[in-house]
Amino acid sequence: MALFMMRFTVRTERLTTIGGYIAGFALLFLIWHLAATYLVKSTLFPPPLPVLERGWMLIEDGILQEQIIASLKRIAQGFLLGSAIGIPIGLAIGSFKPVRWLLEPWTEFFRFIPAVAMITVSVIWFGIGEESKVFLIAYTTIFVVIISTAAGVGAVGRDKIRAAQCLGANRWQVFGLVALPATVPYILTGMRLAMSNAFVTIVAAELIASNDGLGKMLWDARLFMQIEDIFVALVALGMLGFATDRSFRFLIRAFAGRFNATV
Amino acid sequence: MALVSLQGVGKVFSGRTGAWEAVRDFSLDLAEGEFFCLLGTSGCGKTTVLNMVAGFDAPTAGSILLDGAPVAGPGADRGVVFQGHDSLYDWLTALDNIGFGLRLRGLGKAERRAKAEHFLRKVGLTGQGAKHPSELSGGMKQRIQIARALANDPRMLLMDEPFGALDAMTRAVLQGELSRIWAETKKTVLFITHDIEEACALATRIGVMRRGPGGTLKAIVPVDLPFPRERTSDAFMRVFRDVHGLIHDEIHGAH
Ligand SMILES: Nc1ncnc2c1ncn2[C@@H]1O[C@H](COP(=O)(O)OP(=O)(O)OP(=O)(O)O)[C@@H](O)[C@H]1O
Ligand SMILES: [Mg+2]
Repeated sequence: MALFMMRFTVRTERLTTIGGYIAGFALLFLIWHLAATYLVKSTLFPPPLPVLERGWMLIEDGILQEQIIASLKRIAQGFLLGSAIGIPIGLAIGSFKPVRWLLEPWTEFFRFIPAVAMITVSVIWFGIGEESKVFLIAYTTIFVVIISTAAGVGAVGRDKIRAAQCLGANRWQVFGLVALPATVPYILTGMRLAMSNAFVTIVAAELIASNDGLGKMLWDARLFMQIEDIFVALVALGMLGFATDRSFRFLIRAFAGRFNATV
Repeated sequence: MALVSLQGVGKVFSGRTGAWEAVRDFSLDLAEGEFFCLLGTSGCGKTTVLNMVAGFDAPTAGSILLDGAPVAGPGADRGVVFQGHDSLYDWLTALDNIGFGLRLRGLGKAERRAKAEHFLRKVGLTGQGAKHPSELSGGMKQRIQIARALANDPRMLLMDEPFGALDAMTRAVLQGELSRIWAETKKTVLFITHDIEEACALATRIGVMRRGPGGTLKAIVPVDLPFPRERTSDAFMRVFRDVHGLIHDEIHGAH
């Protein structure tokens, strides 16, 4: 009975959350509709209905999916590459003082050069193919992940490490069985932040140098003054970002929820 | 031969605010199987002594011998129960926390589980093994810490005010359980507290510390009362008064 009650409350909580999201989005579209039809009354600011109609058309023609997949593929590749490089470096910086002294100037230097500023260089180096976009996403991911991971290693409680030592753990066991799992929530949080950076970066990169993707769609729509297409791309971006972030938060909860109540 | 022998141990911390002599000329022999309570006012150097025995800190003077060999660092022969409970691993269940030391030694899953279950029962938490530390109360967490240390079968237990953060009732219950477990396992225990009653209820000997700087042993009071201890008995009261007198002088500065 108690178990049933618990399941029940978790279920209703989840339903309330989803209900809240739906209501929130409905309100957003309502305000958009009111603002466009009664306030602005300009062809440059279309109400949601024509935008959604146009979006549906683009989906039926298979065009919208194509752009979304092109952008998402780049984000996924660069994000995974950046995380794969950033996590070990962050762990090393957090664990070994000499590595910290050596690499911290690097991270502190590059983290103030935004990926958007690197677009020119990356196009010169890699051309306008996939490589330049993957490079930019990886670039924007790496430093956030490094910093967050290193901070996580530094935040492992002293008693956790001491407890392992007096249970007989050697250096590697302390690292692998205590420091690493204790850092997982920080790593995931860093990746979540990096993911939102990746969305910013991909649009900027595709605006400037690309043959497809949501950024390219925005750019083309501006050239041909297809105002609805611009809004379709914007709405798609917002929804994709929202969905990705929620899934990430879900993952963090699932993997790390019981690690730490504050995640 | 004594299991642990501290000989003229001293510890000077040097930091931003200059040097601070926390412990001076501290000598003590712990015999196998005894329950020694180190009692003293806050800041007199109790934790400093325990950390040196555990091997977390090195003494700046004198020497600490375990079975005749100098202590060089932390090791599985000395199990530590920490004052706070953030030494537990949040990502492991209670059972896996208890079996952590066994896992380090490469014990198989089944054997580990059986042993961990045994010690879970010993600390009175049967059926709670699947919970994570965030789902346990403060008293339960300290029980898990004790079980984790015991499961590793150390030569001795070092306990730094393990019940300090608990309410009076939970503390009394856990004191009773610890006393029972000690009687069963006959582990040597070095137990730190600033609670006189706790010391009188648990110890076979009580060491009262003098206030720092240069905290050191002031007196050792043997407690020859049978277990389980009857806290309202005259004999208990007599020991309590003796120890209280020694501590009272400390608090009011009459050296
Ligand atoms: N790492 C350190 N650096 C400098 N001084 C320290 C350090 N650790 C402890 N001290 C000092 O040494 C003295 C003894 O500290 P210790 O922690 O051993 O006290 P304690 O008896 O355990 O007190 P409590 O009952 O409050 O835990 C204190 O004056 C403290 O300020
Ligand atoms: Mg202390």
